[in-house]
Amino acid sequence: MTATTPTAPSASPPPILALAKRHAAWLGPTIAVVIILGSLPFFGISLPDVLIRCCPLLLTALAVTIPARTGLVNVGGEGQFFLGALGAAVVASGLSESTPSLVAIVLIALGGMVFGALWAGLAALLKVASGVNETISTLLLNYVAALIVAYAVTGPLQDPEAANFPIGAPIPDSARLPLIGDVHVGVIVALVCAVGVSWLLARTRWGFKARAAGGNPIAALRGGLPVASLIVGALLLGGLLAGLGGALEVMGPDGRLRQGLGVGFGFLGFLASWLALHRPGWVVASVVLIASISVGGDSLQIDLSLPATSVYVVTATVLLVVLGWRGNRTGEQS
Amino acid sequence: MFIEDVFSGAVRYGSSVIFATQGEVISERAGVINLGMEGSMLCGALAAFATASATGSAVLGIFAGVAAGAVLAALHAFLVLWRGANQLASGLAISFLGLGLTAALGVSFVSKQITGLGAIEIPVLSDIPIIGPGLFAQDILTYLALILPFILVFLLARTRWGLVLRATGERPEVARAYGYDPRRVRAVATTIGGALGGLGGSQLVLAYTLNWVENVTVGRGFVAVALVIFGAWKPVQAAIGGLVFGAALSLQLQLQARGVDVSIWLLQMTPYVLTLLVLTITSRRQSQQIPEGLKAVFGGGKAA
Repeated sequence: MTATTPTAPSASPPPILALAKRHAAWLGPTIAVVIILGSLPFFGISLPDVLIRCCPLLLTALAVTIPARTGLVNVGGEGQFFLGALGAAVVASGLSESTPSLVAIVLIALGGMVFGALWAGLAALLKVASGVNETISTLLLNYVAALIVAYAVTGPLQDPEAANFPIGAPIPDSARLPLIGDVHVGVIVALVCAVGVSWLLARTRWGFKARAAGGNPIAALRGGLPVASLIVGALLLGGLLAGLGGALEVMGPDGRLRQGLGVGFGFLGFLASWLALHRPGWVVASVVLIASISVGGDSLQIDLSLPATSVYVVTATVLLVVLGWRGNRTGEQS
Repeated sequence: MFIEDVFSGAVRYGSSVIFATQGEVISERAGVINLGMEGSMLCGALAAFATASATGSAVLGIFAGVAAGAVLAALHAFLVLWRGANQLASGLAISFLGLGLTAALGVSFVSKQITGLGAIEIPVLSDIPIIGPGLFAQDILTYLALILPFILVFLLARTRWGLVLRATGERPEVARAYGYDPRRVRAVATTIGGALGGLGGSQLVLAYTLNWVENVTVGRGFVAVALVIFGAWKPVQAAIGGLVFGAALSLQLQLQARGVDVSIWLLQMTPYVLTLLVLTITSRRQSQQIPEGLKAVFGGGKAA
């Protein structure tokens, strides 16, 4: 399983095919996205709703992708997203209506990113300093994060006018994300992040080292790569992205922190990244698919009065089928 | 009495986690990490609750819970052992599947009441101060949870079954040389492990909550996986971890009941924070004890 024997090249492809292959990383996913979005009307699923749902899911998925390519399993997107939303609310509580819109939005986004990164950094610290497996620590930290948010919105950050509802105060109107049509700009931010992650992993020195550490950590260590700092970096970046997702959700559809904000987004993002075998282009496509299932599931759930988590049945089944179907071949990736 | 109540609670609340840790020990000693334990517990809990609710028999509920937990774990075993799926991803996906399934199927049981497993008091012994009520006035499953780790120690160390299981986890080629198919052994161990997870889920609803809520286990299956590392893959030590988790839960509930002025949310964090804390203290040392077969998945960076 450790030895990755290259698949025998039958014959070197003609130049035109080689060119197409270089851009195939985004070509396939783009076609898939167009097909999925184009088929939404046939299922009666609202396109703007799907795009809005893509924003948090894409960021929590990318939060899984970077660590995964570094050989880490980050299941903490859920908690990092919660903490990001909390960080956003903390920063927003210090702002007023008079803060210029752009400044407010950037500050709140930074607050979310810092909180998200710190939460993931905790798991990174536990791994590097004490050898705690990051899968376990990020999983357990999710439960703690949810309770921290619950504490914040029933205590220090609770909306004074909310009469004991577990919600935070609304953020200033100037900090709400601008809309393009029915969709907030956070969706574009998320897409830019996906392209950025793709570039980071494929074209930068850091990305190369991270993938080397993920491919064979022992060889990377012997080869003098700073594996510990790569691990910390990958988890911090992941947490930062998930935290940004939380902040965008607070500034976008919700406009405030509340208990239960974004529950399940981290897990759906996890499933999306694994479904795409952590290739950024395909992560976008699988996020669009899962967002569509999730939005379509919402109306179905309301009709059948099912809880929101029911959508896990569909998405988890899809992932299990994919894992079982191509599991034997995962050794080939990267 | 405060200490007595906390101790008694530690045993009762910790039991479901103890079952799950024992299941995970069996699975991991054979070489398979099952993060689907959370899913097995959830499905076991709902199956047990639904059966007890429909038939009025908590004992029948136990059987249903065990079966449900085993089915999910068997699915994990199939994907991992026959289809080469990534162990961590498969386990997590199975946990999400369990969470979604039980959330959807459990809706109609949310307001239902059941008659749980009654406490069986052992005369005289249950009157011992402090530890008496905790150890000798519990339901049948809690007694089983207290005895099971010792049975498992015996099975692992002293029986042929245990030897084959451990060989499969450490040196599968040795097991194969003695005529055992490592894949079959691992599949059986994983399935039995899931069955114990289902038993833990059953104990949770039949002896503790007595009602059904979505995500009733709130991470106990994941905690169990953590506690197995804490316990260095040894049944009794892992079970002690389960008791510590139960104690944190019990302490929190007792403080709440006594009106201590701390946010309930902060109190609810204690079991998770404590689990992380014990992991932090012990992880480095325990990495020596990890079964050979798990190193590829757990020890290094690459999870494949």
